[in-house]
Amino acid sequence: MNPNKFEFIKDKYDDAETSRPSLTYWQDAWRRLKKNKLSMAGLVTIGIILLLGVFGPMFTPYSYSDQVNKYKNLPPIMKLYELGGTYFYVSNDYNIFAVERNGRLIDRIDADRSRRDVINKVYVYTYQGEDVVLDFSYNLLPSKMGYDYDLTLEYRGETATQHSISRINRIFPFGTDDIGRDLMTRILYGARISLLVAFIATIVNLFIGIIYGSISGFEGGKVDEIMMRIVDIINSVPLVLYVILLMVWFRGGGLWNIIIALSSVYWVSMARLVRGQILSLKEQEFILSAKVLGVSRSRIIMKHLIPNAIGPIIVSMAMMIPSAVFTESFLSFIGLGVSAPMASWGTLANNALSGMITYPYQLFFPAMSIAFTMLAFNFIGDGLRDALDPRLRKG
Amino acid sequence: MSDTILEVNGLQTSFYTHLGEVQAVRGLSFKMKKGDILGIVGESGSGKSVSALSLMKLIDFPGRIKAGSIVFDKKDITNYSNTKMSDMRGNDMAMIFQDPMTSLNPVFSIKSQMVEVIRRHRKVNRRDALKVAVEMLHLVGIPEPEKRIHAYPHQFSGGMRQRVMIATALSCNPKLLIADEPTTALDVTIQAQIIDIMKHVSKELHTSIILITHDLGVIAELCSRIIVMYGGMAMEKGNIDDIFYRPSHPYTRGLLQSLPRMDSHAKDRLIPIKGSPPDLMKPPSGCPFSPRCPHAMNICREEAAPTFKVGEGHTSVCWLLHKDAPAVEGYAKGEVADAE
Amino acid sequence: MRSYFLKRVVSMFITILLITALTFTMMHSIPGGPFTREKAVPDEILRRLNEKYNLDQPVFIQYLDYMKGLLTFDLGPSYSKIGTSVNDLIVGGFPASAKIGLLASILIIIVGIPIGVISALKQNKPIDYVVMFMATLGITVPSFVVATLIIYFFAGKLGWIPSFGITNPLGYIGPVIALSGYSLSFISRLTRSSMLEVLRQDYIRTARANGIREWSVLGKHAIKNALIPVVTYLGPMIAAILTGSFVIEKIFAIPGLGKYYVDSVNNRDYTTIMGVTVFYAVFYIVMVLLVDLAYTIIDPRIKFGSEK
Repeated sequence: MNPNKFEFIKDKYDDAETSRPSLTYWQDAWRRLKKNKLSMAGLVTIGIILLLGVFGPMFTPYSYSDQVNKYKNLPPIMKLYELGGTYFYVSNDYNIFAVERNGRLIDRIDADRSRRDVINKVYVYTYQGEDVVLDFSYNLLPSKMGYDYDLTLEYRGETATQHSISRINRIFPFGTDDIGRDLMTRILYGARISLLVAFIATIVNLFIGIIYGSISGFEGGKVDEIMMRIVDIINSVPLVLYVILLMVWFRGGGLWNIIIALSSVYWVSMARLVRGQILSLKEQEFILSAKVLGVSRSRIIMKHLIPNAIGPIIVSMAMMIPSAVFTESFLSFIGLGVSAPMASWGTLANNALSGMITYPYQLFFPAMSIAFTMLAFNFIGDGLRDALDPRLRKG
Repeated sequence: MSDTILEVNGLQTSFYTHLGEVQAVRGLSFKMKKGDILGIVGESGSGKSVSALSLMKLIDFPGRIKAGSIVFDKKDITNYSNTKMSDMRGNDMAMIFQDPMTSLNPVFSIKSQMVEVIRRHRKVNRRDALKVAVEMLHLVGIPEPEKRIHAYPHQFSGGMRQRVMIATALSCNPKLLIADEPTTALDVTIQAQIIDIMKHVSKELHTSIILITHDLGVIAELCSRIIVMYGGMAMEKGNIDDIFYRPSHPYTRGLLQSLPRMDSHAKDRLIPIKGSPPDLMKPPSGCPFSPRCPHAMNICREEAAPTFKVGEGHTSVCWLLHKDAPAVEGYAKGEVADAE
Repeated sequence: MRSYFLKRVVSMFITILLITALTFTMMHSIPGGPFTREKAVPDEILRRLNEKYNLDQPVFIQYLDYMKGLLTFDLGPSYSKIGTSVNDLIVGGFPASAKIGLLASILIIIVGIPIGVISALKQNKPIDYVVMFMATLGITVPSFVVATLIIYFFAGKLGWIPSFGITNPLGYIGPVIALSGYSLSFISRLTRSSMLEVLRQDYIRTARANGIREWSVLGKHAIKNALIPVVTYLGPMIAAILTGSFVIEKIFAIPGLGKYYVDSVNNRDYTTIMGVTVFYAVFYIVMVLLVDLAYTIIDPRIKFGSEK
């Protein structure tokens, strides 16, 4: 046996201490947030939507109110009929458009109304001096009499029954609405409005909530009781009712009216949260020592209480933004939104409602925009909650 | 050996977290006689609570008993199914926990919780079960038990709740009671009461008790046999006098030195054990205490120590007891013992 | 306990009083009055109308009149539907709304809670991921989007359910699903996280250590605790269903209270807006009170008022 084995070790306690690299609260939270793939995806999505909303409208040739009447109700993907080297798109309301092979619209072709046979459903158009004959009577035949197509299109002696290619609409990638406005432009502007409303309303709510909640929580006693009774009373009715009342009272929807309406009620949950945080922090020693040292009340609130309560406040703020997006679109949807021709996503969805079966894309894009934004914000909120929750900090 | 109630051999329990395997218990062996009160002592993270839960086979995902055997009352329960264990828990072996404030279900009355346990293991009707429950509450010293039993946990103080816990655990007269830090969360005066109750009850009902604690004072009050655990392993085993008066392991000594004593002088200082318990994700090779040991030798870092027999029923796992090791005052040389 | 509810009822009446005062003041302070239209109404007609609806009285007198009517459950005439009272509208519209609201609530409870529990018990298994993904979608996709998607696919493309109104029992499917979507998702997420939290509690370990059978540990000990936060959500859930029904009824063309409300908002029919708002507020407050009552049954700590 090696006698060295039984020699005492000199350097004793060095590997007894295991230390983690010390990170600040925010570094740690950010490190955890970065690990959350869904949150990062949400963050990227919101970033993209913000960029599109802010800069997107600069790059579209139209504004949100420009109407190109001949191009109404055009879909994002067009089914093209090829006849004699020319491509035609037949819209649901039987307008015919000449289109390039790559999907770029050339023009609507002229209808020859004098030769229109409404009874037999045969319409005649002219394109480059020759007739284009559209026969869409097949749908009216009982059980279509065995035909497997809805219409025939005739041009330069050729007849087509089926479309030959589908092409993305090059000029209006999201299609157009019922008065020929470019939907993509309107959705980009809608993003501006929806997000602007959401952000401003949330920030205002945040400020009111923090001020109200911290005063209530810090003062305690009678002041707290009265302030919380007021919050209780406001909260005892669905907040949307107040917002609707306010919107009615404003007699219609300017952008600022919506922001004011949203800002004036949704702070109550933030106030409650802040008050709860303040109450639980107030009794702790570091606040007591600050008090004993004669630090002023507002300074204690601003320098000690708020920074310590900031985690849950941020999480709740992250959750407030999507609910503001939602409420705004909800208001627009029931007709209390921004006034025409301005449009938020909710207004766009509302406008598309009547033509939903025929023109589903008009609903699809605004609805998806709302859903994606909500989803992204929710993922961020979930991730922030996990990242900022001190109970989960180890590991 | 008909008077053995529990025999544990080479018990290993690990938790498989996403960061890696945490080896909470790394080969624990001991034997326990009927009617004994066995104390398991160690600081937090020493694996004592996990050992207790392993004995009850209450290790939850992601934990698992990796190796070893548990023989309880002549039955090898190592491979018992959960259903079979469930029949035994509360009936043959019972357990109480550290925090009485959270260990009772807040939304059911004491009566409902106790009656459910009794009727789970005994074929009795509700009324008889209630009678047993009231008796048990009386036994653990709850005043007016027939009235108090209808109350809910939040209407009891911590000490009272721990009494309820003990009463419930003992209501089916189990052969073994495992108490995991039963007094830690309580006031000192209440601690003494709970210790008295346990002492009293074990005599009355002939229950064997495993008491798990970091509090050597509690151990001294109650136990006849003691196991000192560190880093998921037993460091020293012996009866109460062995451990308190003839400690043969640097860790045990460290523990004792960090305690105030009645016979110490005012100017004597308490000596803390420097450092912190080992990371069980990467347990040190060799003796787990070696990084903190004041007498650590080269071999301690390289090779796990065998068990040395110090006296009758007194063993220690420490290289200092090896015949080739340099002499240190207080550590007698021992013989390598077979596994107990 | 009794004094607690007495207090609740008193504060309920104070709240209702404040709400009516607020709505009344707001609706009456809108410049122009209810009969101001884009086209100028002749002065004589306007005067007659104002006289008919007591609008020539001072606002305070009008408020007293309104409150007097409210005591006898009379919410006054509708301004836009001449000859109909707001009471008629509520009596006509509420049953349809209540029916889909009730069906949605039942669906939320009998589907939302169980899938939340299952998801918790199968934590990090595929079924958990699927359920939670669906629930996240349900929370984030607004109800009007869900409703329109249902109409587009199930009524439009597949023709399984009627797209307009409720002509047969299948007609309930669309509105009920769209109406319950948000709350169902929310409840199942809440149940899941609450159940996971409860399963980590010491008393669950105690129950197991006492040999309580696994089905009782989960189905009795765990669930009752896990439901406590779920029950607190039932109040806000009513709110979600109420406001959800505004759009759902509009989209599915159901002649319910929500549709009348949205119509009255669009027509600036102030008495109807006021009446229905008051009705919603009272309904909501009473329902929340009932939910709180239910809460004391499930959580004994509330009943004796010693904690929380």
